[in-house]
Amino acid sequence: MSTNIPANLKYTKEHEWALVEGDTVTVGITDFAQSALGDIVFLEVPDVGSELKSGNTFGVVESIKSVSDLYAPVTGEVIAKNSDLEGSPEKINSDAYGSWLIKVKVKNTAELNNLLTAQQYQEFCNTSH
Amino acid sequence: MTELLKTSLHNEHVKLGAKMVPFGGWDMPVQYTSVKDEVLAVRQKVGVFDVSHMGEFFIEGVDAEKFADYLVTNDILSAPQGKAIYSPLCRENGTVVDDLIVYKLHPGRVLVCVNASNIDKDFEWMNSHHKGFDCVFTDKSGAFSLLALQGPEAFSTLKPLLKDLPDIEYYSVYETSFGNHPVIIARTGYTGEDGFEIFGSHIAIKEMWQMFMEKKVTPCGLAARDVLRLEVCYPLYGHELNDEINPFDAGLGWTVKLTKTNFIGKSALESKKAKYKTVKLTLDKGIPRENYPVLDGQGTVIGTVTSGTMSVITGKGIAFARIEIEKAPKDEVFNVDIRQKAYPAQLTKKPFVTGGHK
Repeated sequence: MSTNIPANLKYTKEHEWALVEGDTVTVGITDFAQSALGDIVFLEVPDVGSELKSGNTFGVVESIKSVSDLYAPVTGEVIAKNSDLEGSPEKINSDAYGSWLIKVKVKNTAELNNLLTAQQYQEFCNTSH
Repeated sequence: MTELLKTSLHNEHVKLGAKMVPFGGWDMPVQYTSVKDEVLAVRQKVGVFDVSHMGEFFIEGVDAEKFADYLVTNDILSAPQGKAIYSPLCRENGTVVDDLIVYKLHPGRVLVCVNASNIDKDFEWMNSHHKGFDCVFTDKSGAFSLLALQGPEAFSTLKPLLKDLPDIEYYSVYETSFGNHPVIIARTGYTGEDGFEIFGSHIAIKEMWQMFMEKKVTPCGLAARDVLRLEVCYPLYGHELNDEINPFDAGLGWTVKLTKTNFIGKSALESKKAKYKTVKLTLDKGIPRENYPVLDGQGTVIGTVTSGTMSVITGKGIAFARIEIEKAPKDEVFNVDIRQKAYPAQLTKKPFVTGGHK
């Protein structure tokens, strides 16, 4: 499996990546996730203004043969979504870290400490798969 | 949990880095590289599937064809020698035990190929009707491996490896040899493309697989196989067919030959009306999946999706759905409920994709 895990990002055990900039978090799925899913053909993410709760599902990503839920890495409000990606979700396969899904304004920044570091995520991937 | 069975090619799949999954009690390759690439290889060039998990029964003796004809709903007796015939296998009450292919190898010798997960159930059922027929009925699944070589380049890929291979008709069978090994070559498959299924010993099939790999034939997994068969609208047992419905419910009325003198399930099927209708649906947006509810224009649940995927060729969501006939909408307005949202689905009369088979 791929071990492309950029050091500047944070991660979840559900294989999302999070770019933290102040109280704004940009969310995508990791290279590990796209590789496990295979050819991604459908993406559904919430509209701007939606409220997310950390750990709850917020959307789905589908490959030809499977449906996978997306889990919110943080609690907060969706302030942007990558609409272009819904029309060409296969871009996630070729560039997982360049294909952001949504941006979230975090409600409580203390929650960011719960996210995994690149090293922790790497260890998680090594041990659980 | 019982240990998963392994085909004779298991190591080859692992070496190629295939993703392995349990299927019908077997540890099988679901994909090697990409489902999309594997589907395209079969539609445009040639791909090979290890389908050794499937079952092979032989019927041998003077009554071989008669016995096969009595077991299944389709007409085996009238078909010429050398033909392959697709058929449901039914119980007395008309429900479907399995769907299978009967190969008329030569007079007094018939091969029946059945689904992996139904091998024991089928053999037991068929064997319980064997009395009175002058033939030997054996399950030789353990002695055979099976490859499906599928795609427009299948004939030109396979022919040079064999002692001989005439340009036989689609759905016919030919016995020849591969090196010193006898092999049975059938022009059948589950993809809608031209192609062959090759029955042989484990050693022969492993050698042949390795030659296909050297020739850069694309190895294809179960995921691609499922997309390919659904694109051309072939049913799959456990999805479109099962022990609780009859062939009419699954849209397989064409395989039930009520004009035959006798066969298991005949009297039940003569009086039986279909309770369900199996329809094809196309979605411009959203991907239908198995067990998603199907709704009419008013939002009433009228059936369920039995198989669904994104078509690699059309780029649209495609599905088989089983609809209760009494609830079938006259206006032909269908929706599929995907995560509590109704997505419009068009009733599709023809297969989603036209395969290139002869």
